[in-house]
Amino acid sequence: MITVENLTKTYGHYRAVDNVSFVCRPGSVTGFLGPNGAGKSTTMRIIAGLTPADSGSATIGGVRYHDIPNPGTQVGVLLDASAQHAGRTGREILTLGARTMGLPTSRVDEMLELVSLTPSEAKRRVRNYSLGMRQRLGIAHALLGDPKILILDEPANGLDPAGIHWMRQLLRTYADRGGTVLLSSHLLHEVEVIADELIVIGRGRIVAEGRKEELLHAAGTYVQAVPDHAERLTTALQSAGITATPRDAGLQTEATAEQVGRAAAAAGVALLELRRAEGAGLEAMFLQLTSDTQREQPTTGVSA
Amino acid sequence: MSTTTYSIDTQRPGVSFGRLIAVEFRKSFDTRAGRWFTGVVVALAFAAMLIQALLFVEGFQDLNDFTMVGNGVIGFFIPIIPILLVTQEWGQRTALVTFTLEPRRMRVVIAKLIASVLVVLGVLVVALAIAALGTALAGGVRGFDVDWSLSAEMLRNVFIGNLIAAILGFALAMLIMSTPGAIVTYFIYMFAVPTVLEVAAAFLDWFADVRPWIDFASAQTPLFSTGGPSGEQWGQLLVSSLIWLVLPLVLGVWRLLKTEVK
Repeated sequence: MITVENLTKTYGHYRAVDNVSFVCRPGSVTGFLGPNGAGKSTTMRIIAGLTPADSGSATIGGVRYHDIPNPGTQVGVLLDASAQHAGRTGREILTLGARTMGLPTSRVDEMLELVSLTPSEAKRRVRNYSLGMRQRLGIAHALLGDPKILILDEPANGLDPAGIHWMRQLLRTYADRGGTVLLSSHLLHEVEVIADELIVIGRGRIVAEGRKEELLHAAGTYVQAVPDHAERLTTALQSAGITATPRDAGLQTEATAEQVGRAAAAAGVALLELRRAEGAGLEAMFLQLTSDTQREQPTTGVSA
Repeated sequence: MSTTTYSIDTQRPGVSFGRLIAVEFRKSFDTRAGRWFTGVVVALAFAAMLIQALLFVEGFQDLNDFTMVGNGVIGFFIPIIPILLVTQEWGQRTALVTFTLEPRRMRVVIAKLIASVLVVLGVLVVALAIAALGTALAGGVRGFDVDWSLSAEMLRNVFIGNLIAAILGFALAMLIMSTPGAIVTYFIYMFAVPTVLEVAAAFLDWFADVRPWIDFASAQTPLFSTGGPSGEQWGQLLVSSLIWLVLPLVLGVWRLLKTEVK
């Protein structure tokens, strides 16, 4: 279990992490989602004891990272897959880790196999690795000491779709065995694939958190009537007390599909489409966050 | 709280110090750069030995002479060993991994220092082996009358000199955290600073008396000379070390312990 309470970190006038609190529970994969520069990496470095926080606390199983004996065997950390000596081979990097933790060399081979790095790839220098291979090596390193908790910063970055699904399998199995996983990403679809719990961060603040389904379904229902019933649908929803806003050819509501369906049936409206407006809310919120923090914003309308 | 919630075992033994030292020692040689560097330095010492054995006039053919010259060549590069060992963690950003596996940074610092000293000891052994070969060549090929005795005092002095060089490199590396920066600073230390002090001493009479006590590079010279330092020279070495070695070491350790690892 990872517990972060009221964490704040300021660089000069820039507040990188602003009063952040959350909990990652055993048995679930928690996705830490936010645009680049939102404070994900800083938060994770604070959890791993590499960056001091200005205020607040971060503990793992109730213990500060600094006080965990032989931490590599209890918490697997991957903060940057590229932060490895480019002149070392993949195997050598894992060997250094295994020796530090006091593990047998056989563990190195097991991990290489687990992340599908072939013996010849393991003999190559990391300089010649693709980002995807570095991520696999980094995950192998994090899992070396058979930890019960994983902290992974952008582990899916550089993986191809097959690699992302491989990671989902890996982390799913890990969490199902009681492991705790915190992983960050700046891509919504990555986190959607891998995580069960979501924490959304923007500009150092947490803007949403909860189970993935809840967050995705909080968006409500999308409904569309046959063309000549469109107006009657609007009226029907109004009289049922359901607020609806036009979206595409239909209406977007906050209500459940059942409420909308019953309201339509009561008014004798023929429907063309009735479904959960999946991800629309989260996606819209995430886009908003991203465009807020991005330097280049699309200019609306007028061109020079 | 139940044990399932608190999944961290605080009773587990920590990372042992011996393992840390072994890992740091290994890091000195497990990259191509590290191996090449070691190989080139040994090759240079070997070449110097060949020149000394085959071309020098009679008078430099004893084991002590060869040890002194061989170590002189290798010793020149000794500070680079700890500099690479420390700065690679920042240049290649491996500090992220090193300090997550052992968050007690002071232990990593001491392990690195001990690993560097072990490498320096190894260097002394290599220098001795090369010196023995040189002595044999001078006796066998040139037919000189060679003395195989080895002065314990000289060995001690040479080791102290090497140790100072290693610790200096170590201190500068922690303070500057960049490979070229630390190496350049080391050479400024050893060559530019003594020259400036010498010039200052030539113009200022009072400074000429102070200079031997604050000129760190010159204070080390007697260590590598026949006979070794006198009592006063040991004192000068100690005093100048406080300024040029202990101070940067303390500041360097402080910086390393405080720096945010990114």
